Amino acid sequence: MTSTKNKVRKILLGKNGENGLIFKIILYTLLIGISFIFLYPLLIMLTKSFMTIEDLINSSISWIPREITLQNYANAFEYMKFFEALLDSLRVSIYPTLATVTSSALIGYGFGRFEFPGKKVLLVLMIAMFLIPSVLTYIPTTVLYRDLKIFGINLNLMNSVRAFWVPALLGNGIRQTIFILIFYQFFRTIPDELIEAAEVDGSSTFRTFLTISIPLAAPAFLISGLYSFVWYWNETSLATLYFGSELTTLPMSLNSFIQLYSSMYSQGNVTLDSVNSTYNIGVQYAMTLISIVPLLLVYLFAQKWFIEGVDRSGIAGG
Amino acid sequence: MRKSLIIENLLKQIESIWLKIKKGIGTGFKFIFKYTGLTFLNKKFKKLPNRIKKTVYALAFISPWFIGMLYISLPILFKSIRMALSDKYYFINNVGWQITGEWQNFTQFKRIFTEEPFHLKQILSSFQDISTVVPLVVIFALLLAMMLNQKIKGRAIFRLIFFIPVILLSGNMLANFERNALLTVPAIANGMISRLLSEYLPVALSDVIIGAFGKIVLILWLSGVQILIFLAGLQKMDKSIYEAAKIDGASMWELFWKITLPAMIPLIYINIIYTTIVYSNLSNNALVRIITITSDESGSLGGTLTDEVNYGRAYSAALSWVLFFIEMIVIGFYTLIIRLASKRYD
Repeated sequence: MTSTKNKVRKILLGKNGENGLIFKIILYTLLIGISFIFLYPLLIMLTKSFMTIEDLINSSISWIPREITLQNYANAFEYMKFFEALLDSLRVSIYPTLATVTSSALIGYGFGRFEFPGKKVLLVLMIAMFLIPSVLTYIPTTVLYRDLKIFGINLNLMNSVRAFWVPALLGNGIRQTIFILIFYQFFRTIPDELIEAAEVDGSSTFRTFLTISIPLAAPAFLISGLYSFVWYWNETSLATLYFGSELTTLPMSLNSFIQLYSSMYSQGNVTLDSVNSTYNIGVQYAMTLISIVPLLLVYLFAQKWFIEGVDRSGIAGG
Repeated sequence: MRKSLIIENLLKQIESIWLKIKKGIGTGFKFIFKYTGLTFLNKKFKKLPNRIKKTVYALAFISPWFIGMLYISLPILFKSIRMALSDKYYFINNVGWQITGEWQNFTQFKRIFTEEPFHLKQILSSFQDISTVVPLVVIFALLLAMMLNQKIKGRAIFRLIFFIPVILLSGNMLANFERNALLTVPAIANGMISRLLSEYLPVALSDVIIGAFGKIVLILWLSGVQILIFLAGLQKMDKSIYEAAKIDGASMWELFWKITLPAMIPLIYINIIYTTIVYSNLSNNALVRIITITSDESGSLGGTLTDEVNYGRAYSAALSWVLFFIEMIVIGFYTLIIRLASKRYD
């Protein structure tokens, strides 16, 4: 009798560091519940984006549409001018990403592999500048970028993708200090013997960098490339400030739709009739999903590297 | 057989031609280097002591950052200060940027705090919002990281889900959620839990918790990176300490307060700073919205005096400094609390 009691007790409460059944049930319930909350907005958007107008305005329907329609997606594609916007989005994220990765690797190598006077001061300066909130720089950048000249070259940054990739090439990309620090960490861990051996064999410093250090830092390239891509893709406030109407990325056109929709709504222009056309919440959700699908794909295929990025950025090292 | 021989010959010939070209280019470069003095410089450079050589190389590698610092980041910082301390900041064609007003008047700051009651209200609500969301995010992140750190099946899937916001989080997205009431799951906000809480807890406490439930999606979506930072910290901890404490009869509660939490304190600081900076700079923040709208729609790109119809660049710059001070106060306040609370661990 006592033995069965003990057994039940052992299963329910656990013993010797093994977690008991009760603990596990609570844990899994919490984790699944929290996962649901995490996904809740996306799930709502997904199901509503397939609803017809009748279902959308029917307050008794919240999850399962009575009939599934693709009309919202058709409208969304049309309003967004999907292919043009996708092309713009790719340009706005890929060019700055390449620039960010290139310059971060160079700068990280300079800080990581060489000892020189004033290095600590410069590193502290870099991190201090990073803590300055980006909002603080919004207005002065528009002033500065209008007529930014470096070595007498007028860069003409405004209204072009240059406003994103030229600063990135000079270490001023979106949250670029993080990437520089990732490269810094990576290059520091390369054993000195490897570099010295190459240099004894007559390889120049730059060649050692290209042929030995860069291949060893491949994960750093992947991590910073992915993050940088995602952050540039999502950037809308800066993009509107810099590009004006010159470029329209997917998130930007979603933004303009939302603004249009909410201004129509607040002026009372949204009648059942106009709701029937392009302007309804289903279309908005469809557009939101369309604009994040490329990111989700990137994430699904490369999630290991996103997670690695946080581990490797050195902050978690304490 | 013969075909392969022919190809081989061809390849050899191509190779020899290539070598000749290479040699030609090489001598050409040597020639150029010699007469521009580069060979001389190179020889001199190689004779320099190793320490100086290293410094030169290092400076060469970090030169992009250096140039960016001199031409972009520092000027932006100074401009931002100067703009915030001016009356008007505008552009005249062929003349350049004009600044009016004396800096010591603090015109824009006076204006924010005395003449713009609506914006002052926004500042206060932003302040309140940031200071309630930040600690909640950090606490939730720690709890979720500890859950993920348990021995569980399907950890990879949970981690995949918990980390999705890192990819999708943007001010745009949050504004989208906010507008469509997706920041909370209705069943949680209006359900049993909040009713129970408001009945059995003191009002002040239950208000905070119910407020947290009302923003539960926002809080979870903001905590992706923080969860990973805590998780990495937890996984680096020495398991034998836990084993030893368990043998000594420590409960889970004690393990948390006496072993886990003290080890997490440096990471808590990092996460407080990270969360504050990220959250207050998202474009769904009321202040950020004013800052971008006042500069954007009044034509900051045109930049002329007539473009500055409503508030203008100077006002926006001053407002962004106010936001910066709010961030500093929030970070300072919470790090101070953590420091005081963690004193007993020293």
